[in-house]
Amino acid sequence: MTAPFLVAKGIAKRFGALTALSGVDLEIRSGEVLALLGDNGAGKSTFIKILAGAHPASDGELVIEGVPVAFSSPKDAAAAGIATIFQELALSENLSISENVFLGRELKRSVLGVPFLRRADMRQRVDGLLKELDAHISDPEAPVGSLSGGQRQAVAICRALNLNARLVIMDEPTAALAVAETRKVLALTRRLAERGCAVVLISHNISEVFEVADRIVVFRRGRKVAERLRAETNPEEIVSFITGAHPDVRALEKAN
Amino acid sequence: MRQLRNGVFSLNGREWSLLVACILAIIVFSVASPYYATSGNAGTVLRNSIELLLVGLGMMLLLAMGGIDVSVGVVMGLAAIGVGRALGAGVDPVLTAFVGPLTGALLGLLTAAVIVLGRVPAIVGTLGLLGVYRTAIFVLLGGQWLSGLPTGLTLLLGTTILGLPVAAWVIALAYLAVWIALRRTPFGLHLLAIGNSEEKARLSGIPVVKIRFATFIVSGALTGLAATFYVANYRNVEMTVGSTLALDAIAAVVLGGTSILGGRCSLVGTVLGVLLLRILQNGLLLTGVPSLWQPVVTGSLLIGVLGFEVLSNRLSLSRLGWASK
Ligand SMILES: Nc1ncnc2c1ncn2[C@@H]1O[C@H](COP(=O)(O)OP(=O)(O)OP(=O)(O)O)[C@@H](O)[C@H]1O
Ligand SMILES: [Mg+2]
Repeated sequence: MTAPFLVAKGIAKRFGALTALSGVDLEIRSGEVLALLGDNGAGKSTFIKILAGAHPASDGELVIEGVPVAFSSPKDAAAAGIATIFQELALSENLSISENVFLGRELKRSVLGVPFLRRADMRQRVDGLLKELDAHISDPEAPVGSLSGGQRQAVAICRALNLNARLVIMDEPTAALAVAETRKVLALTRRLAERGCAVVLISHNISEVFEVADRIVVFRRGRKVAERLRAETNPEEIVSFITGAHPDVRALEKAN
Repeated sequence: MRQLRNGVFSLNGREWSLLVACILAIIVFSVASPYYATSGNAGTVLRNSIELLLVGLGMMLLLAMGGIDVSVGVVMGLAAIGVGRALGAGVDPVLTAFVGPLTGALLGLLTAAVIVLGRVPAIVGTLGLLGVYRTAIFVLLGGQWLSGLPTGLTLLLGTTILGLPVAAWVIALAYLAVWIALRRTPFGLHLLAIGNSEEKARLSGIPVVKIRFATFIVSGALTGLAATFYVANYRNVEMTVGSTLALDAIAAVVLGGTSILGGRCSLVGTVLGVLLLRILQNGLLLTGVPSLWQPVVTGSLLIGVLGFEVLSNRLSLSRLGWASK
């Protein structure tokens, strides 16, 4: 087994009086799809927002390839090779597809010190990415506000692919998708891992998770309550971790 | 939906309507007043539009970013005092021309510091600054008008280059520069993304703080530039300087199709909005309506346009609710 790409140690997050996360230890490996499960409000999105540089952790440490890192913005995380597809997608509806794919890291050429956008190059690259994804979007200049949920998801995935990320995090990427689009996203998730990317997938769909994940982690009330290799567990066990019916979780929660 | 994309030389529906409204207003006023349709009066309308074209350009950027500045009138006042004092002290007119934009940019920096670093909503922060600056003007002027200023700046800006007045060149250059920044550089994308949603822009890795600072500074500089022309045109600064400027600027820009909630703007619309407003104000004056009524007309236009946009679903009511945060 390879050394992990990212190690999270004792991650905690408090929003005022509310403790959204506490003491989360997790290793994320290259070439592996890690599924993050848990009930609503379990802290999944909060955890990945810390990985994405969107929230500072209240406590704990992130280590990437042996080096401790501190992200003060999503830009820092992107620079470290982490691309995140947020649950709320973070796309700008008023901008075009290609503008969204490159937003925050546009291609530009400097003329007399003024950074001019290289629109044609960006469009071409996005065209290629959309074809690769088989996304059925013909015009990369269309505003994102005019797209369907699945098409928006495809744009968000293009954005992550375009970063050439080492770690791609997807927060409920299939929640708004029809069957065919869901298949595509899951296939893509596997492809990313086969390319050597580390992938974190958040989902409420257990069968989906068992289809693509190599490892499964369950969060409950801000804590990591279980970690299993897919081959060593089954959906019933995972569900009992999520609902808290599993004896291990009961013991853990009694102890606190 | 995307005025910026298709609205530079080809006009969209809103811009055509404004153009037609301008022409209709001109026809109506020409019939109503014998003094109206003269070349002298056309010059008056255009001269009266200079400051508002510049201030409106800055306001358009702020609104497109989801910001606003209700203190532009007093910012122009303070910058005008700076220009006037420099002129009175015998500073070279070419240098005094730069005092306006410089003062404006500094005040823009201060505004940005209050709003961005202090995390105060723009409308509240600039309202507070409006109060502070109004008193500052009173103190600086000592209760008197700054008047009888030397003619140096007036002569400088009264000259023509290739047959066009300096003001026309400056305004054209300012609009061209803003068009390039919005349409051809990352700045424009970032500004519109922030206007769409500041949080999403942040998650996308956009340097939100930097862009917001830059926009307030640019808007301040444009307002200060307006102050330079103001002093050149009137050669005095009165206590109540700029008291209707913010209302005029917001009305003109919103009339022009820029969204009050951000994310969408129109340069051509801003120019047409300013012209329509000034044509109406001038026409009403010439047909005997006291100038006291001008803000009533402007305010009604602003409310009317917003009401129309809500009814025609271009603004959703729920987003209006969010915008108050
Ligand atoms: N910005 C915030 N400010 C305050 N509380 C927050 C914030 N973000 C999340 N929380 C709280 O933290 C807790 C964990 O939320 P989180 O969004 O991480 O859950 P989740 O596991 O992603 O749930 P879901 O499956 O519904 O997406 C919740 O109680 C939520 O209300
Ligand atoms: Mg979530």
